[in-house]
Amino acid sequence: MASTAEKTTPFADTTVVDTDVHLSIPFDELAEYCDEPYRSITKYPTYTPVHRGGWNRYMGGKIETEKQNVQTADALYEKICVEFGIDYPLINAFPVLNSVPEDDRAVELMYAYNDYLLDNFLDEYDQFLGLCTVATQEPETAAEEIDRMATEKSIEGLYLLNSGAQPPLGDPVYDVIYQAAEENGLHVAYHASAGAPFAKDFPVQDTQFNRFLENHMLAHPWAHMMTMSSLIVNGTPAKFPDLNFSFLEAGVSWVPYMMFRFNKEYSMRRSEAPLLEKSPEEYIRDQFYISTQPIGEPNDPNHLQQIIDVMGTDSLMLSTDYPHWDFDHPDALDQQVRQFGDEEARERILSGTAIEAFELSI
Amino acid sequence: MSGTAERHVVADADEIDNGERIVTQIKGREITVFRYDGDYYAYLNWCAHQGGPCGEGTLTGTSIASYDRETGEVDSYWGREGEILNCPWHGWEYDLTTGDCLSRTGVTLPSYPVEIEDGEIVVTL
Ligand code: FES
Repeated sequence: MASTAEKTTPFADTTVVDTDVHLSIPFDELAEYCDEPYRSITKYPTYTPVHRGGWNRYMGGKIETEKQNVQTADALYEKICVEFGIDYPLINAFPVLNSVPEDDRAVELMYAYNDYLLDNFLDEYDQFLGLCTVATQEPETAAEEIDRMATEKSIEGLYLLNSGAQPPLGDPVYDVIYQAAEENGLHVAYHASAGAPFAKDFPVQDTQFNRFLENHMLAHPWAHMMTMSSLIVNGTPAKFPDLNFSFLEAGVSWVPYMMFRFNKEYSMRRSEAPLLEKSPEEYIRDQFYISTQPIGEPNDPNHLQQIIDVMGTDSLMLSTDYPHWDFDHPDALDQQVRQFGDEEARERILSGTAIEAFELSI
Repeated sequence: MSGTAERHVVADADEIDNGERIVTQIKGREITVFRYDGDYYAYLNWCAHQGGPCGEGTLTGTSIASYDRETGEVDSYWGREGEILNCPWHGWEYDLTTGDCLSRTGVTLPSYPVEIEDGEIVVTL
């Protein structure tokens, strides 16, 4: 397969990594990767095999439904690599496993998503990189799956859906997962989700809100705030100093709030987080990475730049979230960075930080 | 600015039915010409948000609401059917008759004069 796309985008001379590209897998195809009885359940679901709540996501047809145009490797390559100018998409299967009610079925789907991703996408193009799906319901089984997937050259990290993961992901029950990640040199990426997984963590809010806009506003930052609190208080980054973590799909503006409040709270209640050896802000800056989509849209673009400056480009990695309805076109962020940043800052956000965070050998 | 404005025939007037549109290229720009309620509108097919093909989005109505401070009542209804252009990428709404974005003050789609001359749609650009 072709190794470099013919680029006509503003990225012609720049390496670009997209840290959040999703598949949208037809469930009848995924079913073929499952053993019975899971195959039939996936093929003939009561509702949908991985339900995402009954919200009006596509505004009654005002916008395109989840774009069905990238269901093959060639189509994804054409869209992401050629049209958007991305050199290396980090692809995840978009497994919404926390809304699968049976733990054993979630585990079976974890294997299915991973094999599907490898067979149909990662094996097709050299520059396609991937994240290993992790079902957090059975941490020991997940650790074995991580060992299996880590032997695949194209797998650069783990994909953990944090919305609806119970208990929260800093709980020591998950340490086997982090241990496996560290031993295999894999990055840990958290991705949040609105709808059914959000409802698992925040059932009152999910049922009491009356519009998807309210739900979607909070689903991603709340899940990430929960995960970040849990990781830091449990000392997960201190226990696994060689691990890098990233938070996908909540933009960047929520992070300064967490860093600064965490410093304050930690100093008041240090005895509740005794494993920490430095300030929460230092852990966040040293081991946590943030993907940019959905990049905030303040009325004054200077204000976004101020947040980027607070975060520093060493923590920020471009992401599009394609093909979801709220994706960011990569040019939107690039224009912002070009307007305010120097070429070095641009290079960090477009690829340098991701290469470091995921230890990509590209 | 590139040169002086010129007239461009884009189609016969009856090629576009009411509520329909055509997308055309003029001077390297993609322009969508709409016909609505007897009038014609030409807008750049480039969304002010992130450059999506807004001229190819659905034409629908939208929710309109007002709050009466005296009675404390909200009057909310679905209206302007067919007059709201929705960008297919992320749903920014534009008023088809003015090009104004409904959610961002001061954002308006670039528009071009359209006239019907001898049964032909002429865009000046
Ligand atoms: S590009 Fe049109 S709504 Fe985003």
